[in-house]
Amino acid sequence: MYYVAKVNSDMCAEYKCNTCTLYCPEANTLMFDKKGNTSWVDEDRCKGCALCVYVCTDMLDRNCITMEMVSGKED
Amino acid sequence: MSLKYITPAERFKRYLPKDYVELVDYGPFGKTQDEAGPGNMGQFKELVEEHPMCSGCWMAYYIRLIFASLPCPEETVTLGTAGCGRLAISQAAVPFIYGNYGDQNAMASGLSRAFRIRFPDKTKDVITIAGDGGTMDIGFSMTMHSWIRGEKFTTIMLDNEVYGNTGGQESGMSPKGAILKMAPLGKQGEKMPATALAQAAGCVYTVRMSPTNIKKAAKIIRRAIFVAREVGPTFIHAYTSCNIEYSIPTEDVFADAKEKEKTRFQFEEYMTDAAKEVIERVEAEEKAASKARKAASKAEAV
Repeated sequence: MYYVAKVNSDMCAEYKCNTCTLYCPEANTLMFDKKGNTSWVDEDRCKGCALCVYVCTDMLDRNCITMEMVSGKED
Repeated sequence: MSLKYITPAERFKRYLPKDYVELVDYGPFGKTQDEAGPGNMGQFKELVEEHPMCSGCWMAYYIRLIFASLPCPEETVTLGTAGCGRLAISQAAVPFIYGNYGDQNAMASGLSRAFRIRFPDKTKDVITIAGDGGTMDIGFSMTMHSWIRGEKFTTIMLDNEVYGNTGGQESGMSPKGAILKMAPLGKQGEKMPATALAQAAGCVYTVRMSPTNIKKAAKIIRRAIFVAREVGPTFIHAYTSCNIEYSIPTEDVFADAKEKEKTRFQFEEYMTDAAKEVIERVEAEEKAASKARKAASKAEAV
């Protein structure tokens, strides 16, 4: 079991910001949805480094991203 | 490679792998930096795909940034050598040549010369991306000689200050006193002055930096490529920490890069007059083109 990043899209949509997507070390993982004005995470690719949490929480003080235990797809 | 070579026929698209078609349709091929550049990463399909590098690797981030800021990805060839970096560079949708233990700059010399003869009507970019061991230790002689000969291509050194791929031996670029797994007493010698060596060997544009400001880092990469097209060898010395060997918690990697920017990796840019002329000309052209595009899109909207 491991942690992956999860974006609170309601909170994220309030800001005009895509800073976290610029600082993720993984390509095509932390994506930005232009229509919904929010970031989202491709959980299959996230390695759980929490760099986006540093950007969102420590640098910008917006607290939109949290690390959550990955949920298994099979029941 | 060229844009024509990459783009498949419309009717053939349904038979090709989905990933490839997406890369052509939504990737940065043939697009400007405003449409698909470092400023809007996460909104287009990037050239680097899933790579096996460690969680929170700052080198992986910088490689992602390099590929996003390439001025012409369809006309670019990258070269690398043994080390962590090649794990991600070789996964990108840009032709990659794997050098044999540090000979990436020797190969790049031949390749860039051959491109100039074979494609006199095109601008082909040759970029070597290697670690501190490949550039400054094992491949030192070939790197220095390519600069002394004045070969026109870009050298990017991903400096993680350790041999991260083989278990933590000290490298020439490790700072004095660094205690590593395979250097338990601490490194005795000094860190090699890479940018000073590059300037002495005849590089026309050298930069030492820690990639914390994305816009600035992208601008530096593009400047180095533009200058290498016309004037001579260019060199970027970038700090890309190894969070495994230096035991940096992954969430603090960015903070560490910022801290190093204040100490060992203070921003330092050197350029000759000829290089400065090229940079000013190209950046003015880019600005004018971007302004014209914006004006055109505004006129369309009205």
